[in-house]
Amino acid sequence: MSTPRDATAVGRGGTAHGTGHGGDYQPVFVGKVLEELETVLQRYPNKQAALLPTLWIAQREHGWISDRSMAEVAELLGLTPAYVKGVVTFYTMYHQHPVGKNFVQVCTTSPCNVCGAEGVVKAFLEHTGAGDAGATSPDGKWTIIEVECLGACGFPTPVLVNDDFLENVTPEKVPELVRKYR
Amino acid sequence: MADGLITLTIDGTPVSVPPGTLVIEAAKQAGVLVPHYCYHPGLPVAGVCRMCLVEIEKAPKLAIACATTVTEGMVVKTQTAPAKDARRGVLEFLLINHPLDCPICDQAGECELQDFVFQEGQSGTRYAEFAKRFNPVEDFGPDVLYVPNRCILCTRCVRYMEDVAQEPVLNVSERGDRAFIGIHPDARLDHPWAGNVVDLCPVGSLLSKDFLHKARAWELDKTASICTGCSQGCSITLDTRDEVVVRVRPRPNLDVNRYFICDHGRSHYRWMNRGDRIEAPLVKKDGALHATDWDEAFARVLSILRGASGKAVALVSPGASNEALAAAKQLLAGFQWTGAFQVVMGEEAPLPGVPNLALRAERAPNAKGAENLGYTRDYAQALEAATGAAVVLVLDDPDCSVETNGALIYLGTVLGADAPCRRADVVLPIANVAEEEGAFTNRDGREQRYFQAKPAPGMAQPAAWVLEQMVKAMGTARVA
Amino acid sequence: MGFPHKPHAKETVVLSQYFGDADARTLKGWTKRGGYAALAQALKMDPAQVTEVVKESGLRGRGGAGFPTGLKWSFMPKEKKKAHYLCVNADESEPGTFKDREIMRWTPHGLLEGTAIAAHAIRAEVAYIYIRGEFTEPWTIMTRALEEANAAGVFGSIKVYLHRGAGAYICGEETALMNSIEGKRGNPRIKPPFPAAAGLFGLPTTINNVETLAAVPHILNRGAAWYKGLCLSNPKSTGTKLFSVCGNVQRAGNYEVTMGFPLKGLIYDMCGGPPAGRTLKACIPGGSSVPILTREETEACLLDYEGVVEKGSMLGSGGVIVFDDSADMVYQIMRLARFYAHESCAQCTQCREGTAWTTKIMERILAGQGKTKDLDLLLDLSENMTGKTICVLSDSCAAPIVSGIKKFRGEFEAYLAGKRQPVMVG
Repeated sequence: MSTPRDATAVGRGGTAHGTGHGGDYQPVFVGKVLEELETVLQRYPNKQAALLPTLWIAQREHGWISDRSMAEVAELLGLTPAYVKGVVTFYTMYHQHPVGKNFVQVCTTSPCNVCGAEGVVKAFLEHTGAGDAGATSPDGKWTIIEVECLGACGFPTPVLVNDDFLENVTPEKVPELVRKYR
Repeated sequence: MADGLITLTIDGTPVSVPPGTLVIEAAKQAGVLVPHYCYHPGLPVAGVCRMCLVEIEKAPKLAIACATTVTEGMVVKTQTAPAKDARRGVLEFLLINHPLDCPICDQAGECELQDFVFQEGQSGTRYAEFAKRFNPVEDFGPDVLYVPNRCILCTRCVRYMEDVAQEPVLNVSERGDRAFIGIHPDARLDHPWAGNVVDLCPVGSLLSKDFLHKARAWELDKTASICTGCSQGCSITLDTRDEVVVRVRPRPNLDVNRYFICDHGRSHYRWMNRGDRIEAPLVKKDGALHATDWDEAFARVLSILRGASGKAVALVSPGASNEALAAAKQLLAGFQWTGAFQVVMGEEAPLPGVPNLALRAERAPNAKGAENLGYTRDYAQALEAATGAAVVLVLDDPDCSVETNGALIYLGTVLGADAPCRRADVVLPIANVAEEEGAFTNRDGREQRYFQAKPAPGMAQPAAWVLEQMVKAMGTARVA
Repeated sequence: MGFPHKPHAKETVVLSQYFGDADARTLKGWTKRGGYAALAQALKMDPAQVTEVVKESGLRGRGGAGFPTGLKWSFMPKEKKKAHYLCVNADESEPGTFKDREIMRWTPHGLLEGTAIAAHAIRAEVAYIYIRGEFTEPWTIMTRALEEANAAGVFGSIKVYLHRGAGAYICGEETALMNSIEGKRGNPRIKPPFPAAAGLFGLPTTINNVETLAAVPHILNRGAAWYKGLCLSNPKSTGTKLFSVCGNVQRAGNYEVTMGFPLKGLIYDMCGGPPAGRTLKACIPGGSSVPILTREETEACLLDYEGVVEKGSMLGSGGVIVFDDSADMVYQIMRLARFYAHESCAQCTQCREGTAWTTKIMERILAGQGKTKDLDLLLDLSENMTGKTICVLSDSCAAPIVSGIKKFRGEFEAYLAGKRQPVMVG
């Protein structure tokens, strides 16, 4: 899934709070995307129920969900921006800040933990230069985070790189993966 | 289950309540206050704080009283060891991140966390080695500050804005122990009824900027009153300290305002503390007003009234009490009488979640009472009639710009140096709503009493008293 | 099938028959293998009849609660006055569990078929399949399968939609799942009301797990008596179960066995036991929310609902997490506590604060700053966190703590005495 993401948006700082689009905000739901939203709305008896899929679309288009995007979504669905924000902050897969070009989620919950998951995290951090887990690498290409159980405990360690669900990742395989995705 | 009620036992006391009653409400009838935070009779049930855990015979687990409906023969025990241990546990969990702010927290003395910890909590903490969660104070809007560190996430404020104010401008943000009450950066808590979240907050997390660090709860005297902000007639409590009104809060009244008042009424109290009051009766001598005593002032009024005949015009405030308005009319019983008032109008602002409740367009508490007593809204016409009237009585209308060839009697709390009524023959100082007892009739025809919260300054007296003294002296029979 | 390994002789292959067979994912492939015959049959039956068959089979919820499925369906209103809903719980997030994922990846049409049959049985007009956000591959496969099924019109008038989660374990709780579909925070609801009375959008709703529904077409095809007959121990636990075995085992994977199968056989015979040179130390049999079993308890345990209860734990989701003697129990229990602290929705005081406090105490013990009284404190907190909240997440945090301190106290005491430090695995 190719997502137009501005890799240089990361590392500029100053996008912690507020609308953070630094300039003109381009609405998400226009043209084909608006059509897509119409299809989504058909699936639910009211607009509020379409909130999660709508947020996924917003994140797909912009790479993250800013306060401004939340306001746009809120208006489309007849909700308040505060309400939408309450929902966005509940679900950990919605990004409230821009992330690196490659968003890497490594499971470190116990079943994977006993199989060396933390070593995989360490390898990613080393080979991408991302520093602390959750930080974005200086070149803006990687954000590495530890996540909870990814539901692939039999294939330790599962790693999500953007939407690619990788299995059986070991520290030895990490350099090759980093090369492939860079 | 005779007469359709359900009988159950709470801590040994039998009570009978209608079907559908919550255990926490039934307990009140048994004289039992089940500790709680998130529950509020004016809000939808949430069941999240877990503070109201009670033991119910034959139930496998403790139950929350706020979400359990009564059944026939139910036996509820709130003071058993498992129930008390569970509640003590909840309090301990609430306190681990709650700062020791009591010495600087506005809520101290009227804080439900203090109250229940004192009643049922433990005296020491077991969380000593860890840092408490910290977030900076946030300004939510015109009057409300949010102190996240003190928040116990009862969500009363969120539910109130969503369900009662019907403007979901507050949310719960994040998850787990990172959660806090949030607001979208583009939003402000400026709903006309938003101030109620400060009252609803059981702790000192949501604070009124107006009241911030102003007074301690235990210094306050509380008096039942009626709001004078509009014609809705909400029940309020006037909180005074050292005879100064420092805060207005709603008083529960299931028939009018339930548990809420609007921000206009809430902030509409500073005028009650004005210092520039008329403190003595004044009579005109040699073209100027001179201070005197009540006897001389009454004597002057009576001599005016006995010596006049023909038309009398009363220009009154729609904020005067029913008693005062009635006595004012009675005093002028011997004349061809016109009585009128004018009301300041504003925008109506309903509280959608409560039927028939709004900040009303009429910004005065007793227009209806005045109407009931025969006063009209034809103020302009009354002003006209006053020009040729023998006697003009002005009651609590400081900006009244009446011009008359007859005598002018002015009853009021203030009289500005350039006020038109400075040319009055007699000026009688009266008490304001916080300084007297009286009654207003709200827009629905409901007569409600208010009580005295502080003394009137100087020699000022309630307008009703002033007028009734003169009525008695006139010897006129009381108007029915 | 012991997927991804070769099927083991002792497996009872029903749900996992086509795991690894890419052709079975397509509508054509599924139909060729006998798929959608059960649905066609069910649509001709009276809904109550379908429920009876499932009741008779003894099928119980495979998501973790083990509630009899037919009985759950029968809770829906007898008189149809309002719209009914079916929710399929594909939020699989219980640590140690990875079976629903495989069902969706390999037999998406099997799940769709079971969904449609269930919807028919409970007279639901609409079914939502709630798939956790991280399951990107199952999402793609299910989307394609759904398109095929819709194009072929196999569902009749029943509408089936996919709904994507966004990263919240708690949305696997049935009432939180409904809130999430409604576009709200994934907060569990207080019960009553129960979903069958007022569920999704306030209307009568049934929520079923993926594995539960995947079994339904097989039950219809081969009969309730057949399913009921698949039972090695307690007659109240029938059919097959996919056990997701993971952790310190040689051949981790999903293994499908008949209810009542010995846990010892599963771990040693099928999975090859711990890596060479290591010995079994502990096992969590039903996903991380159930009490930990010692080696003795593990090796004597039969895998059905009653059998695991007898050993002091629960069958749960069937996520079997195996720890060998190299595992640091204290560290892993801390890691589980941290999981629950991360996933707490924040509604209930005990869970919101207790999961975080528990984690902090555990971290401090691992950092060498623990005190003996910390163990009593942990047990006391766990007691305050059990049986007193809207949902059982806080109970789930307490389970490994209580069983861990009870059964592996020595490992805790080693940390308290300063004799041990955590070492990163791998």
